[in-house]
Amino acid sequence: MKALAIHILRLVVLVLASGAACAILVRNTPGALVDERELDRRLDENDLAALRAQKAEEARIGTYFVHYLRGFLRGDLGYSESNHEPIAALIADRAPETLRVVGAGLGGAWLLGLGLAIPAGRWRQSFYVFGIYDGVSTIAAGFLLSLPVALVAYLCLIAGAPPAVVLMLALAPKVFQFARNLILQGYGASHVDMARARGVGEMRILWAHVLRGAAPQLLALAAISASMAIGAAIPIEAICDVPGLGRLAWQAALARDLPLLVNLTMLVGLVTVSAMSVAEAVSKSGAMPGAVAA
Amino acid sequence: MRTVRVSAMAFLGLVASAALAPQLWTPARYETQFRDLPDANPSRRFPLGTDALGRDRLSRLLYGTRVSLILAPSAALLSCLAAAALGGMAGFAGGWLDRAILAAADLFLSLPWLFLLLMVRACLPLNVSPISSATITFVLLGALGWAAPARVVRAAVRQLKDSDFVFHARSAGCRTGRVLWRQLMPNVAPVLWAQFWVAIPAYILSEATLGMLGLGVSEPLPSWGGLLREIEASALRSQIWVLAPAFLLAAVVGSFRLILPQEDHSV
Repeated sequence: MKALAIHILRLVVLVLASGAACAILVRNTPGALVDERELDRRLDENDLAALRAQKAEEARIGTYFVHYLRGFLRGDLGYSESNHEPIAALIADRAPETLRVVGAGLGGAWLLGLGLAIPAGRWRQSFYVFGIYDGVSTIAAGFLLSLPVALVAYLCLIAGAPPAVVLMLALAPKVFQFARNLILQGYGASHVDMARARGVGEMRILWAHVLRGAAPQLLALAAISASMAIGAAIPIEAICDVPGLGRLAWQAALARDLPLLVNLTMLVGLVTVSAMSVAEAVSKSGAMPGAVAA
Repeated sequence: MRTVRVSAMAFLGLVASAALAPQLWTPARYETQFRDLPDANPSRRFPLGTDALGRDRLSRLLYGTRVSLILAPSAALLSCLAAAALGGMAGFAGGWLDRAILAAADLFLSLPWLFLLLMVRACLPLNVSPISSATITFVLLGALGWAAPARVVRAAVRQLKDSDFVFHARSAGCRTGRVLWRQLMPNVAPVLWAQFWVAIPAYILSEATLGMLGLGVSEPLPSWGGLLREIEASALRSQIWVLAPAFLLAAVVGSFRLILPQEDHSV
């Protein structure tokens, strides 16, 4: 219980600190205190004074952040100047698209990565089959990992592939490499040989001995791959023109839209730190003796 | 495996030597325009053709390779030096300094690498000279990449701090500076060396992603990211050779990964 409370406290502190760091960064960006609306001839002196007062308040990071947190507790995330829309509505509007891309991409990456890793373990005793299969799949994974995600996105865009496929191609090689090592390790264990000698079927060996033994590490990887997927979503959404949170963050950064950037940074920080905490907790539980029935 | 590693090193050496003296292989500098020959097909004079502005693609590829191959290791060196200083201090001093540095590292690691990089780069000046843009890009990579290696260095220093040879050195009257420099640094060096080699391909790929999004090195100075961005403007199906930078990038990054002693796939 104490460990959980510490984890939650760490999560809150890190998320708030990332939001504050983002606010400081944006506020110190060249041109951040200049508002193009001041050039609008239709605005009178009162409007300009109100505009300058608003900018001056935003420039004081401490005051701005306290106001933001007060609004946050009331469910008000602020107003995006670059999109002319409340931020809560923007996030609610864009999140489903990102969730769809990230969900489909992650699911595909795991199916492909794990699907390619299992035969490598299964055929490990057949010298030629294993050599050819493992060589080809490892080279393919290495090639994909050697390409920038933006290039993969652009090539997929030209080929007419959906953005989820880009994410799948970006993440599957990492899942494959890690899962392959774990599965090879699992098939090499003595209890697998013993089970095989007792006549246990291959499917049962895979499920009950190999995958169950590797489950903690695979779950930890699953949590981390969620964080990697969010990071990769920005260039993918920007290049493939997907109206999701990644493109929104990208546009907000270019427009120096402080309230929107702070919200998106905190949201991404929340998801990433949560994923890392889950990965850490799962790894620790897997490392405990007797926690995994191998 | 050793043969593969040696081949990868030989390939990198070949690419580096070609990139360090591009004038030996190309008819002109990267910015020279042949205005009567825009979008030319490959020929003996221009082995990779010319781009839409009539500039030799091979020349731009070699000069771009030079930019990436000089600046990515420099950025990796910067992040490793920062990691050595901060991770070493955290591991050796312990207490509040350790907690403060760990908290700062956690803050950097609380956001995905690409998200952090894109957000920070987008907030920095974009309308600057090509040299400044290259410097900003790679200094940023080096400055943001210290957190993960610092944690590794901290763990190594903490382990070494309590080892017998450090106790011996202290009991023999060695001062803290000497213990750090003569006892700990030589033992932490292999860890840092591995982090340095891991960082180079990661930074090359990050620069390419930034460049493709228009946040990398600005024109007319070529870089791999900028060259890959040109794919967008060209008709890929009719000019397949515009993919040459992509293949060279993949080969170089793959070679860097192959020469690592053992790739770490741990989570």
